[in-house]
Amino acid sequence: MGNALPIILGLIFLSALLIPFLYPLLKKKLGWLLSLPPLVLFFILLGELSSLSPRQATILETSWGFLEGMDFTFRIDGLSLIFGLLISGIGFLVVLYASFYMAKYERQGHFFTYLVLFMAAMIGLVFSDNLIALFIFWELTSVASFFLIGFDHHLEKSRQAALQALLITALGGLALLFAVILIGNITGTYHISELIAQKIHLGTHHHYYLILTLVILAAITKSAQFPFHFWLPGAMQAPTPVSAYLHSATMVNAGIFLLMRIYPVLGGTIVWKYFLMLTGGITMFLGAFFSMGQKDLKRILAFTTISALGTMVLLIGIDTTDSLKAALVFFIVHGLYKGGLFMVAGIVDKSTGTRDISALSSLWKTLPVTTVVTTLALISMAGLPPMLGFIGKELIYEAKIQLPGFSWLVLPLGIGANVMMVAISATIFFEVFWPGTKKTTISIQHHEKEFSYLFLMGPIVLALAGLALGIAPRILDYPISNALFFMRSYSIDVHLSLWHGFNQVLLLSLLTVAAGMLVFLWRKPVTKAIEKVITWFDIYHLPSLFNRLIYNYLKIAGRNTQILQHGYHRFYLLTFFLVTMVLVGIQVFRITDAPLPQVTSNPVRIHVALLLLGSSLAVIFAVLAKSRLSAILAMGIVGYGIGLLYLFFGAIDLAITQFLAETVLMVLFVMVIYYLPDFAVLSTRVSRIRDALISIAVGVVVTIVVLKARFLNIEEPISGYYADKSLTEAHGRNIVNVILVDFRALDTLGEITVLTLAAAGVYSLFRFQIKQLKGKSKKSSNYESFKDTNSK
Amino acid sequence: MRNIILEKIARLFLRVMAIFAILLLLRGHNKPGGGFIAGIIIATGFIMYGIVFGSAAIERILYFNTRKWMGVGLLLVLLAAIIPVFMGLSPLTGLWYIEKLPLVGELHLGTPLLFDTGIFIGVIGVILSIVITIMDVLKWNS
Repeated sequence: MGNALPIILGLIFLSALLIPFLYPLLKKKLGWLLSLPPLVLFFILLGELSSLSPRQATILETSWGFLEGMDFTFRIDGLSLIFGLLISGIGFLVVLYASFYMAKYERQGHFFTYLVLFMAAMIGLVFSDNLIALFIFWELTSVASFFLIGFDHHLEKSRQAALQALLITALGGLALLFAVILIGNITGTYHISELIAQKIHLGTHHHYYLILTLVILAAITKSAQFPFHFWLPGAMQAPTPVSAYLHSATMVNAGIFLLMRIYPVLGGTIVWKYFLMLTGGITMFLGAFFSMGQKDLKRILAFTTISALGTMVLLIGIDTTDSLKAALVFFIVHGLYKGGLFMVAGIVDKSTGTRDISALSSLWKTLPVTTVVTTLALISMAGLPPMLGFIGKELIYEAKIQLPGFSWLVLPLGIGANVMMVAISATIFFEVFWPGTKKTTISIQHHEKEFSYLFLMGPIVLALAGLALGIAPRILDYPISNALFFMRSYSIDVHLSLWHGFNQVLLLSLLTVAAGMLVFLWRKPVTKAIEKVITWFDIYHLPSLFNRLIYNYLKIAGRNTQILQHGYHRFYLLTFFLVTMVLVGIQVFRITDAPLPQVTSNPVRIHVALLLLGSSLAVIFAVLAKSRLSAILAMGIVGYGIGLLYLFFGAIDLAITQFLAETVLMVLFVMVIYYLPDFAVLSTRVSRIRDALISIAVGVVVTIVVLKARFLNIEEPISGYYADKSLTEAHGRNIVNVILVDFRALDTLGEITVLTLAAAGVYSLFRFQIKQLKGKSKKSSNYESFKDTNSK
Repeated sequence: MRNIILEKIARLFLRVMAIFAILLLLRGHNKPGGGFIAGIIIATGFIMYGIVFGSAAIERILYFNTRKWMGVGLLLVLLAAIIPVFMGLSPLTGLWYIEKLPLVGELHLGTPLLFDTGIFIGVIGVILSIVITIMDVLKWNS
């Protein structure tokens, strides 16, 4: 069954590309069609899950790929199944949710293209076995998210947020590419399965710290860890379905996935542990702390996501079997509740027109189903039974308590973050849904009954999934123990259960809840205090610092460009010639084993000599000519002379090309020159002498190069090979043409592309002028005919 | 001012050049010629035609605008480049179809010919696009 995975993935990519054609046909029904492939994938993965054996991974080879070692191989194991199930499942719900949420938006076709592309890239990312393929999908998620975050591109804020996200995640992507290439070069394989099978760990390699830094940079930029966390709150400029998807299962979780995926190869060293614990711990606490000071529902959720991601990174950094298990469970927990809560934020937004929690109140009456569902999700977020969130939090506490050495620091931070989570959950519920507040009731634009069931289905299904998994967590035992087997390379029996017995951990949970409720009760002063801290931190407001950095960068780049690209053609030529001459000249004098040829009295061929004489005369004439036209014509003579020279030495193709190109150039020159102002000598005497010196020097250097090159045989010339293979391998007798279209076809491909670009450049330079001219002539001709008829 | 002799010559010139270009394109693999040369040759025919009749006349003959021709050329080149990929070979590998025909002799058809045709069309598009643009801007026709 799993064999269908590449096909389904291809199908999702295909459906993304076909949307521009499908959308006009299907309109409102498009969401249904697009939601089918992820649903099918979800069930296929469920089937895989049931047949998963704890110590095995399925590798699917596809014969797809462009370069050696860069084939799209897929790997199904516990880790990719957990991620894949969440991505496809939530993807299915998000597409349906979006088809309702986006109903009134323009450019829905664009939106769904990006969204489906995003989903496909994410699925490809978690299942790819090849690190290069993983990188490609990784970058694709960055690009797709750029378009999604900036979807409302008429808003300055959206564009800025999108650019910020792209710049930061693309920085990480570049780091990942370097890391992948390094890993591939050191180990000789890009396949994760081979790396795991051969038990390769790079910990002792002398490039280890470089690779580790690069991978961690990739992971923390993608997963919005401190100090790169600030792009994530900005990313909530995206339409709500995107936020729901981006925060719950995709994008930001890709960094977590990468850390877990690469763990067998790089993980577990001291630096790995301390670095991840440090950044994860800071992010966890910062996210939770700042989320309390926010007003916008989506912004609150965005900061809790940062906190949750920090928790996962911290857990990976703690690096015990228990902590990795906790990280995996917590990923599932977080995906389920965060996806649901974001969708609820969208529902509230649609229903009331605002997301400000201080304005919202007692929505219980108008949104009863949503209230129930939200409560379930919030319970999961707060980590209370009977939701899966409780199990997740218990595991986290357990892992933190068992951490040797650092539990005195990590545990309070973790408890602090969790206290905030409890408080936030309670605050959201109380402010938005609780009927008993004294706030003025908000005007309701749409009641829940008016919404399509598609709109409500997402959060309902996710909340119920959280509840079901909380009551029966055994389903997760297999994939988690499988994932842990590949990370730790020994098998671990995982037994998740809701009730752990009365122990230290439960006590901590009770303490957390109590403290959380206290914070909730005193939320007004707490919020104010946090707001004060936030404004105090505003000097170090990272988004604006980042913006200033980019701004200054662009300014410096602009100044540099102004210096380098001054716009004087003669100085460009001057620079070009001087630099070339110096570089080539140094080389020429360095190569001493090729002496200059002796002057011998070879019989001079009279026609060649005449030709050269004629060309030289033409050059001198061109330099001294008093009009442009004669100068150009003289240059033409030189060009034809060179063509003739080719002909004498039997290079017929070259000669023909030279003649033709010269002819076309002549015509173009003559066309243009006719309209230039009168010829005049504007340059001073000094500059003319300088130019003359430089051109003579260039000529001398080129002559020496040519003379030397004749006696310099660095390697066997390749012309023999071409002459041999031309007819036998490439079916052609004309070697020049065979080289052009077969042996070196890639060069030709590049050249024709460059030519096309040049032509496009010429056209776009003059496009408006031509349009104006044409418009004017049409108008005037109309006018003329009008006058004509009048006079008649 | 119309010059009937010049007009006749320009028309004839274009046709001769067109036939000559196609000949050069087809025989290019074995004898002097090829897509690039053929492209420039037919372009010279068009330029002559354009100088006599104006750039709009070239556009009329071409039917599609020159940018589209450039695109078609690039597309053919790309097609020739990626067809081998679907046969499991690396891109740009030459694929050949060889058949003995009664009158013509041995016929060699292959992706390099497609590639060359792409270059032919692309070069025509590029040169004529530039020439027509310049003629338009400088009001060569009016």
